[in-house]
Amino acid sequence: MNKRLPLALVAVAVLAIPLATHDGYIIQLLNIAILNAIVVLGLNFVTGWTGQINFGQAAFYGLGAYTTAIATKAGLPWITTPLLSVMVVTAASLVLGLPTLRLRTYYLAMTTIGFGEIVRLIIVHWEPVTGGTSGLRAIPGISVFGLSPQGQIQHYYLLAAVLALAVIVALRIRHSSLGRAMIATRNSEIAAEQSGVDTTRTKLLAFMIGAIYAGLAGCLYASSIRFISPDSFSGTQAVLLMTMLIVGGMGSIAGCVIGAVALTILPEALRFLGQWYLVLYGLGVIAVIVLAPGGLASITSVVPWRRATAP
Amino acid sequence: MSETPIIAARGVTRRFGGLLALDSVDLDIPRGIVQAIIGPNGSGKTTLLNALSGASHADAGSIRIDGSEVFGLRPHRIARLGLARTFQTIRIFTDLSVLENVKVAAACNSPVSLFNIVMSNSKQRRTEAEIEHLAHNALETVGLAGRAGDRAAQLPYAQQRLLEIARALASKPGVLLLDEPAAGMNMTESMTLLETIAKLKASGITVLLVEHNVRLVMGISDRVAVLDFGKKIAEGAPAEVQRNPLVIEAYLGRRHRHA
Repeated sequence: MNKRLPLALVAVAVLAIPLATHDGYIIQLLNIAILNAIVVLGLNFVTGWTGQINFGQAAFYGLGAYTTAIATKAGLPWITTPLLSVMVVTAASLVLGLPTLRLRTYYLAMTTIGFGEIVRLIIVHWEPVTGGTSGLRAIPGISVFGLSPQGQIQHYYLLAAVLALAVIVALRIRHSSLGRAMIATRNSEIAAEQSGVDTTRTKLLAFMIGAIYAGLAGCLYASSIRFISPDSFSGTQAVLLMTMLIVGGMGSIAGCVIGAVALTILPEALRFLGQWYLVLYGLGVIAVIVLAPGGLASITSVVPWRRATAP
Repeated sequence: MSETPIIAARGVTRRFGGLLALDSVDLDIPRGIVQAIIGPNGSGKTTLLNALSGASHADAGSIRIDGSEVFGLRPHRIARLGLARTFQTIRIFTDLSVLENVKVAAACNSPVSLFNIVMSNSKQRRTEAEIEHLAHNALETVGLAGRAGDRAAQLPYAQQRLLEIARALASKPGVLLLDEPAAGMNMTESMTLLETIAKLKASGITVLLVEHNVRLVMGISDRVAVLDFGKKIAEGAPAEVQRNPLVIEAYLGRRHRHA
């Protein structure tokens, strides 16, 4: 199968990376890249496919991370934290989404910017629980019925497996009536409605699924990096996540992963440039937007953007 | 054939600021016919269509589709009750394939379960297969089956119009609203369109046709209603309407003078 070949190559590369380098710093960076990729995949549901601008994705990421950190530090078993994180972000996404997603245009963008700021302020000021600006350290690690990954390489494989799962779920949604309804809603809300699509419900589901992706990534972030601080989930991070989506390729699953990995690694790889890095970064983003409006994925096109028939 | 009309509208009124776009319009459409609504530009044809389909609600009145009141319902609810439509300016889903465009509407009455989708279980695969089947049939009807896998944005203009019709058909509607379907089509394309409309009627679908081009509708329609300044000024068989002095004054007369 010709289609499977690039996928197989990617899989081999992902498995082989830890053999090529034992540099803990590089593996750690890749782990963060993988977590970011999951968050950007989540953002793709609501922004890439449904066309709603969401600047709250970093806050959902943070909610998941802080929920997990606070719960495990309080002595709850790790196994409860994915569920707890999902519950917290789902509740938050419903509170935000129910009133705003009935409205069209930029209301969600405004609300989520406010939401991100509120979450940041709570984290910074609720010091006894959240550790304030200095964050939380020594967060208990992942442990499933006594099994715990040891070291960064084991975490790397675990996170890569979760990312693969996140990609599979995204693909399944894309090729279902829900995924088609999301894209239809972005292309023409009125035509989607007149075709029987409940666009409000579709937008709410996309927003919620996106929040759950971010919440679960946050949960894994807290318990695999073991240290969290408000900076990792700030408004700047929200903009960075949006940039990853745009540079990688809005609406493309492969693009989400490419964008997240590229923009997580690039700042570190180009660190020798010092402050010139920001100039290069800005020019790079502009170049992608102008030369390849479909994002990096439209150039490489690792995974075809659609299949005409379901498998 | 049941006695209740498929569409029964009473006193439909729509105001845009000081403009009375629809002035207490009554409209009964019996099942299985091709009903045309004609009228000069700005007479309220599209406004009436929007009111019927819920795209832009009327301010007052009653609208029954197949016996159930739909006034104030959101468009997707009305669509699920069996009313489908196309648009005067094409609104296809440009980022989806031709087949996927139609599948959106074919899924109209299949409930979406996130759990089934994520698990990709047999129930989900069965639902998808049904949707695919419906969508393929709709594409066959308009003659677009050969382009199922293409991206919708790649279709030429006239085929995009046909795609809109296929999408509308896929929801298995009782009544189909076509808003100026021949706009921008050449003679051959218009003829194909007329054949398609005849085919739809033969399959039992009620067609409500809004057209600017009077000649096009006269041959195909069973009944014609004429709007002028938001009021229904005439209704009846095409020949009757053509002889009606009010209509000649409001619409045909004006056109003849220009022509």
